[in-house]
Amino acid sequence: MSRNIIEVNDLTKKYDELVAVDSISFDVKEGEIFSLVGPNGAGKTTTVEILECLRKPTSGNARVLGHDVKNEDEKIKKKIGVMPQDFNTFERLTAEENIKLMGDLYGSDNVKEIMRKVGVDKFKNKKFDDLSGGMKTKVGIGMTLISNADLLFLDEPTTGLDPHARRETWNLIKDLKKMGKTVFLTTHYMEEVEYLSDRAGILINGKIEVIDSIENLIEEHGGGIKVKVLEDGEAVDIINDRADEVLRGEDTWTGIFDNKKEARQALIKLFQLDAKVEVEEAGMDEVFLRLTGGKIDEGGELV
Amino acid sequence: MKRAFSLFLSLTKNWLRSKSGVFFSILFPIMLLLIFSTVFGGQEAAEYTLHVQNDDLVDGNETELSEEFIEALDSSESLNVKEVDNITEDRQDRSFGSYRALRIEEGFHEQAKNKSIELRMKVIQNTTQYMDEQGEEINLDDFTAESAEIVLMLSEDDQAGPMVKGTVYGVINSFNSRMLGLEEGDTTVDITEESHKERGLHPVDYYLPGFIAAFIMSNGIIGVTSNISEYKRNGVLKRLTATPLKKRDWILANVGQQTVLAFGLTAVMILVAVLIFDAQAYPGPYAIGLIFMGAVAFCSVGIVLGGLIKDVEAASGAGNAIAFPMMFLSGAFIPIETMPDYLQTVARFLPLYYFHQGLREIMILQNPSEALLAYLIIGIFAMIFIVLAIKTTRWKDI
Repeated sequence: MSRNIIEVNDLTKKYDELVAVDSISFDVKEGEIFSLVGPNGAGKTTTVEILECLRKPTSGNARVLGHDVKNEDEKIKKKIGVMPQDFNTFERLTAEENIKLMGDLYGSDNVKEIMRKVGVDKFKNKKFDDLSGGMKTKVGIGMTLISNADLLFLDEPTTGLDPHARRETWNLIKDLKKMGKTVFLTTHYMEEVEYLSDRAGILINGKIEVIDSIENLIEEHGGGIKVKVLEDGEAVDIINDRADEVLRGEDTWTGIFDNKKEARQALIKLFQLDAKVEVEEAGMDEVFLRLTGGKIDEGGELV
Repeated sequence: MKRAFSLFLSLTKNWLRSKSGVFFSILFPIMLLLIFSTVFGGQEAAEYTLHVQNDDLVDGNETELSEEFIEALDSSESLNVKEVDNITEDRQDRSFGSYRALRIEEGFHEQAKNKSIELRMKVIQNTTQYMDEQGEEINLDDFTAESAEIVLMLSEDDQAGPMVKGTVYGVINSFNSRMLGLEEGDTTVDITEESHKERGLHPVDYYLPGFIAAFIMSNGIIGVTSNISEYKRNGVLKRLTATPLKKRDWILANVGQQTVLAFGLTAVMILVAVLIFDAQAYPGPYAIGLIFMGAVAFCSVGIVLGGLIKDVEAASGAGNAIAFPMMFLSGAFIPIETMPDYLQTVARFLPLYYFHQGLREIMILQNPSEALLAYLIIGIFAMIFIVLAIKTTRWKDI
């Protein structure tokens, strides 16, 4: 059993009358990728910035690597790596110079190794201002990794990136886990949560709606398995008999199975008939939709 | 300290690669120094155009005395006489610029001649009266005459007006003397001109310390304020606060960068002033000490403003609003003796006044003991603002 590397209890942050984070509690285990997911204004960044000791909580408590965020800033900051939201750095310094600066601040000198690991070595002499969004994110991750910290906070690292750069960043984050790092990720991309995370918490209006492993979230809140039959006849009877709900298309019948076992048995029968079927498993989009009644658009807004 | 030094290097590199930053911090002050020292340091006196309408004509020709008077005006070093037929019409043809005019009234020759006779007689009368007092008895009949007339027309907003007026009066006095039959050198009071250029000082020697002080101040108050608010806006400061970097390292790095910039600016400006204008500046340890204190003081003001003001434009505006009036009111560019009394009082409340005065005493006049007040005031100012910088710089909830 992995130990808790972050422990949050009843944490609240208010900005005057606005409650940005409302009595949330959760923990993050060593070695996992944990995602805090939610639309803009949900309180993700406020939460992560309290854990990074950049903001003071109004009430409640949180411990990071065993240290209290309220009064052990210095100890925590030395042991964590941070990539803030809308990451930026000295624009006229090169990629290498920026990573080296961070290395100096953390007392670390493995700049070349880090640049190679995150793929910055190919453009290390380019000024930060001249880099593409994907390259800048790589520099940001490099600047986070140079801390040699075991716990990394990545606050919306792929926001604004094109699909290719986003995929590259995901692979980098996957590699961080292989290096033994614990990653605390905030994002509003459900696909990202599903692809990267071991566990996730959904944050809406400062409150955590649900928190669990991705598998359990989909299992419990994803709305089951969709089996689409593409021909008429006996196969449709099987769907009608066994599915919890059937949606009729032009030439298709989609059976929705809340129970995985029931879906499996129906599929076996359909395969025996050699019927033409398509199976669609629910994802985090479905989970979010079912829990909140909405979707998050590309810009991070709840719609 | 290692963290502060590393950040100092990064801030300096980032600044050196900014073309606009280097231009406004180093090149712009040099350009101003060159302009001021050239414009106000020229050896040749300025020459002002005076338009003259001569109405004293006989058969269409200028009378002898009016012609002589115009020649006397023209021979003055600071006047360039242009004769015109009609001042009013000539003036209408010009859309802008100061128009200085002088009209010699009709009858100038006759009146001048008659007046000179009257005055000569008065001199004689005065002489006879003097003799009478001594026991001699001499009587002369009264003789009176009108003075010859000229009209000098100057605009109230013409800054060179007083200079032109003084020159014209000088020419009139000289003309009057000649009309009384006095030759050049027939004077009761002689004046001998002596230059007190024992040190061989030039105008640039006044401007140099003023410019160094003013731009160390503006680099601190305008530059640092803008940089810090920009780092806050674009997230660079937040990135740094998430590392083990401490607030004191951040302040140290900024102060260090400004100090190096101040020394660099001083060195370049002295080099330019010495090579081009033969300036007499000798920067020694006392000057280095005062420059260091000035850099710390004004950089700290920038850190305070940048820390307190959230909006980049507002921070930049606040820096400008403080720095520019201080530059001009402190006498950094213009001696405060030329200002009204109340502005001279204002100048003495400004730290920049003591900064440039102190630098002038040390670097130019080689008189460090006269700069003790400057050391004291800039030192106290630096201490107050470094404490305020520490208090107002937020390292959390930015």
